[in-house]
Amino acid sequence: MSTHAVAHAATTEHARSQASTARLVLRIGFVALAAFFAVMTVLPLLILLKVSISAPQDIMTAHPPFGIYNPTLQHWRNILNSDALWSSGRHSLIVATGTAALAVLIAAPAAYVISRLPRGWRYGVILALLFTRMFPDVAIAMPVAINFLRLGLNDTDLGLILAHLVPNLPFVAWILVGTFETIPREIEEAAFVDGNGKIGTLVRVVMPIAAPGIAVAALFAWLASWNDLVYAIYLFLGERTLPLMTFYYSNRGSVFDTATFAVLLTIPVMLVTLALQRYIQSGTLSGAIKG
Amino acid sequence: MLNRSGRLLRVYWLEMLMVLPLILYIGLLTLVPVLQAIGLSFTDRYSGSFPTLANYQYIVSRPDFGAAVFNTIGITLIGVTLEMTVGLILALMLARSFRGRGLFRTVILTPMGVPTLVAGAAMLYFFRTNGYVNELLLRIGLIDVPIYWTESGLRGIFAVALADMWKVTPIVVLLLLAGLESIPGDVYEAADVDGATGWEAFRFVTLPLLMPSITMALILRAIDAFRIFDVVMVMASRSIPVMSTFVYINYFDFQDQHTASAAATILLLMIVAFVVAYFLIVERRRGELA
Repeated sequence: MSTHAVAHAATTEHARSQASTARLVLRIGFVALAAFFAVMTVLPLLILLKVSISAPQDIMTAHPPFGIYNPTLQHWRNILNSDALWSSGRHSLIVATGTAALAVLIAAPAAYVISRLPRGWRYGVILALLFTRMFPDVAIAMPVAINFLRLGLNDTDLGLILAHLVPNLPFVAWILVGTFETIPREIEEAAFVDGNGKIGTLVRVVMPIAAPGIAVAALFAWLASWNDLVYAIYLFLGERTLPLMTFYYSNRGSVFDTATFAVLLTIPVMLVTLALQRYIQSGTLSGAIKG
Repeated sequence: MLNRSGRLLRVYWLEMLMVLPLILYIGLLTLVPVLQAIGLSFTDRYSGSFPTLANYQYIVSRPDFGAAVFNTIGITLIGVTLEMTVGLILALMLARSFRGRGLFRTVILTPMGVPTLVAGAAMLYFFRTNGYVNELLLRIGLIDVPIYWTESGLRGIFAVALADMWKVTPIVVLLLLAGLESIPGDVYEAADVDGATGWEAFRFVTLPLLMPSITMALILRAIDAFRIFDVVMVMASRSIPVMSTFVYINYFDFQDQHTASAAATILLLMIVAFVVAYFLIVERRRGELA
C-alpha cells in the first residue's frame, strides 16, 4: 500500500514538472511574441526619427546601415527656418481648432436631443450617422471642391473647416450621444422643477456635467482635422497645411524633409493621443479609425 | 394632422432647433455632394446630356481603372485579413493579466497617435529599393538583388497593405478587447467544468460571443480599406492606382470631373455591396446556427 502511494506521488510529481515545463515554454513564447509585436510597432517611428537626424551618406546609399553613424541636426534646422513650416503650421492649427470648436457647437445640442429620443428612434438615428461613413471621402471632397471654387472658398481656412466638419460631425455626434445617455434624467427634472427653464437647465446643468465628454470629442475632431490629407488636397491648391507639406516633400522625393516633417506632424498628435488613451474606448472608436 | 404637428412644434421647438443645424449640414455638405457626384457621373462630358452611360463605358475601357479595382480589392482583402488576425492575437494577449501589461498596451496603441500619411511615409523607408526591408533580406542572404516593392501587382499591394495594417491594427485590438472584456468569466468556468480544452473554449465559447465585435471591426475596417488614399498617395501615387487615387488623378491631372465622378460612384457601390453582402452571408448564416 505504501509502495502504491509512493508510485502515485512519483507520477504526480512527474506530471507536475511536465506541466511546469509546458507552462514555462508557453510563457517564453508569450514574451517572445509580445516583444516581436512591440518592436514591430515602434520600429517605423524610430526609422523616421533616425532618417530625420541622419547625414545623407547614411541614407542615400545602396546599403543603408541600421545604426546612426553621422548624426546631424541640419534637416531640422532647415525645416525650422523655412517659411513654409510657419505658414502651413498656422493653417493646420487654425483649421483643426476651428473644426473642433464648430463640430462641438453643432453636434452637442443635436446629440443631446438624440440621446433623449425613445430607444428605437435613437438606434435608427445612430445607424444613419454611421451610414454616412460608407460614402467615400473622394465622392464628397470633389463636388465640395467644385462648389467651393464657385464660392471662392478654396484655399481659405473657413472652406477647409467646413469640409472637415463633413466626416467629423457624425462622429462627434455619435460620441456625444453616448455621453448624454449617461446623464440621468432625474437631474434635469430636478433642475427644471427648481425653476430653471429648458435652456437654463441645459446650459447650467446638463452641459457642465457633459463637459469632459465634450472635451474628448473635440480633441478627436481636432486630431482628425490635423491629420487630414484628402479634403486638404482637394481644397488647398496654392496654400498648404502640414500634411500637405509632408505629401509635397514625399512626392518630390525629398527623403529628409519628408521624414522631418512627418516627425513634426506626429509630435502633437502623439501627445494628445497619449493624454486621451484612458478615454479611448470601443464606443468612441470608429471615427478615429482613420486617425 | 396639421394641428398635431403644430402642437409638436410648439412643445418641441427647442429640440427641433437643436437638431436642425446637424441635419442641414449633413444634408447640404454630405448628401448633396454625393448626389452631385452621382449626377456628374451620368452626364456626358462633352455635350452635357443626361443621363448617359458614356463615362462608365469610357472608364471600363481604361486599363488603369481595371488595375485600380484590382488593387483596391486586393489591399482590402490582404489588409483586413492581416489586421483581423494580428488584432485578435493582440487582443487575446491583452485580455490576460501579466506584468508589464499597461506598458505593452501603450506601446501597441502608439500607431493610433500617428497620422495615416506619416505611416505611409515611414513605410517608404522600409520598402524603398534601397530601404531597410531589402537591406535586411540582403544581409540575411535571402535575396541577391534588391526587390522593387512598390511596383504594381501583388508585391505593391502587399507593401501598401502592410503600411495600412501598421496604422490601424490598434483600433481592431481595442474593438476586440472591449468585446473580450464583456464576456462574463463564468462562461469559461462552465466550459472548464465540461472539460473543454483551451482551443475548444476559444473555438466554441470565445469566438461566437466575440462575433458582434468582430463584425463591427471588420465592417469599419473594410469600409476604410476600400477608401484608402493617404498611404497610397505617399508610397506609390502613380504606380499603384486605387479607386480613391484614380478619382484624384482624373480630377486634377486630367481635369475630368465626369470620369472621376464615375469612379467615385463605383467605389460607393463597391462599399455598399460589400456591407450588404456581409450581412446577407455572414449574419444570416449565424442566425441559422443560433
